[in-house]
Amino acid sequence: MDFYLGLAQIVGVHTLLGLSAYCVLLTGQVSLAQAGFFAIGAYVGAMLTVLAGWHIVPAIIAASLVAGATACAVGFPALRVKGLMLVVATLAFGEAVRLFFFNFDYQVAKGDVKIGPAGGEGFRQIRFFPEHGWSTLDVLIFIWLFVALVMGGLWWMDRSRAGAVLRAVGEDEVAAQSAGINVTAVKVAAMTVGGLIAGLGGGIFAHYTAHIEHAQFGVALATFAIAYPILGGLSSVFGTLIAVVFVQGFLVEGLRFLGDWRNLLFGGLILFAMNVRPRGLIDAATIAAVKRIWTRNREPGNARTQGAE
Amino acid sequence: MSYLHFIDTLQSIADGVLFGATYSLLGIGFTLVFGVMHKINLSYAAASIGAAYASLIVLSVVKAPAIFIFLLAGLSGGIIGFVIYVVCFRFIPQANPLATLMSTVGALLLIDEIIVHATVGIPVPYPALFSDVIIDAGPFTLRGDLMFMFALGCLSMLLLLALLYRTKIGIATRAVAQQPVAAQLCGISIPRINGLTFVITGVVGGIAGAMIGAAIGVLSPLLSLPLTTKGLIVTVIGGLGSIPGAIIAGLLVGGFENLFQYFRGVTERDLYVMLLLFVFLVFRPGGIFSPAAGRD
Repeated sequence: MDFYLGLAQIVGVHTLLGLSAYCVLLTGQVSLAQAGFFAIGAYVGAMLTVLAGWHIVPAIIAASLVAGATACAVGFPALRVKGLMLVVATLAFGEAVRLFFFNFDYQVAKGDVKIGPAGGEGFRQIRFFPEHGWSTLDVLIFIWLFVALVMGGLWWMDRSRAGAVLRAVGEDEVAAQSAGINVTAVKVAAMTVGGLIAGLGGGIFAHYTAHIEHAQFGVALATFAIAYPILGGLSSVFGTLIAVVFVQGFLVEGLRFLGDWRNLLFGGLILFAMNVRPRGLIDAATIAAVKRIWTRNREPGNARTQGAE
Repeated sequence: MSYLHFIDTLQSIADGVLFGATYSLLGIGFTLVFGVMHKINLSYAAASIGAAYASLIVLSVVKAPAIFIFLLAGLSGGIIGFVIYVVCFRFIPQANPLATLMSTVGALLLIDEIIVHATVGIPVPYPALFSDVIIDAGPFTLRGDLMFMFALGCLSMLLLLALLYRTKIGIATRAVAQQPVAAQLCGISIPRINGLTFVITGVVGGIAGAMIGAAIGVLSPLLSLPLTTKGLIVTVIGGLGSIPGAIIAGLLVGGFENLFQYFRGVTERDLYVMLLLFVFLVFRPGGIFSPAAGRD
């Protein structure tokens, strides 16, 4: 049972990571910097609870704000470039953050031992959950509370004017600009929201793994971050969730019985999925089909209730 | 700064520039694919390393002089390049840049895993050529393997430029890069040219992979992600789609990288390479040779 609870925790954190990339991808930009924001959130959140002794909720909110502010600051210079240039610029930013934490040594003596991030060795003393007696289930509920909050927020945003503006910039930048949309502001805003979500995810990640080090936030994590929304399809936030369940639940954990061959299948299945469904697992057509079935089942029901009245 | 210190600095820059020839070749691969298809092939560096592995395997089966390793790596690189074109680009709608980006990520993971699977994750020694040759030039020493690598890199770049600017295939490739629609109207088959571009870049990447293996002396799947980053940085610093830019940027990045390593140590080296990229993005966003504006 604990295995499935742990798996659900991983899925939750990775969903937050995927949603942060989803925000940025909606405006048509590919950002490989999400792992960098995730790392900033993880380190800041963990340092606040371990070194400053904060409670976890203000700590991860502060971590999220720091990551969001960084994303906003990075957004302005990075968004001067487009396409491949942006991919490389954000990739370089993510790697620069990782290398910064690789060289980041800030240890404080507490009693007999020194605590705090120690460069290449990583940051090992994050014990908020065990110290406060949280069970695995408590942690799980805590994580999914935030996931639900973020997903609900993004789902609502998609239906509001903000979502339409984001998608307009993503579909055709020039047309959006001529319609009076400030493209730079929209892109930086999307980047900032992405940074906020990634920072939140990072703060939670640091606390449930209890040990963070620079190697966890490399290019591999950054590609996973963009992989979730692209695999899931950019039509809906639920696509990202389904892609995370598909990748983490099915590919990473479900195929474990295959041993060494699992990793071979992993890359191959991504290739296959992109060849078969280039617009993602849940694309606009799927959503339309689901809606059609949904309304078809609803309409007779409505008629019956009307007849009863 | 003492005299010896100064000599050491110059020495490290020289070694870095010589090693930078491999970065130039990788940058050319990324640049060519981007120029012709306007797509990013993230699996390119992994394919180069894969080709170097393949050359080792072929050489262990067929007895041949060690120098043939570059030829074999180029050949296998071409084959891998074509396979990547078929599985990642041929059947995916070209109007969807995210899908092809993702499929190349899938190919990157697949190639890495094939390498890990075939070698059980243990780094494989690569035959070091000319490593015993050391040329003394005044206060400097020039390592024979790096010199050979540099010469081979220059030779393959010259051959590539000759192919692109002196043959019919090259003209067709450049036509597709400039105006795909007009090229198609002139009777050039775009899928064929795209596939050919992947074969050409694959050959170049295979040679680059073999050069990296020969210079470092060992091959490991851990190389592919850092090389992807370096190759992309070289592409951007050189200016997208510009081959001379990629060549110069590769040598520049190699030289700077070794200089930073000399001054700040190996852990901080890459951090400064990233900063170099940001300096270019802020002051010269188009790279060294930015493509002419106002062209499709």
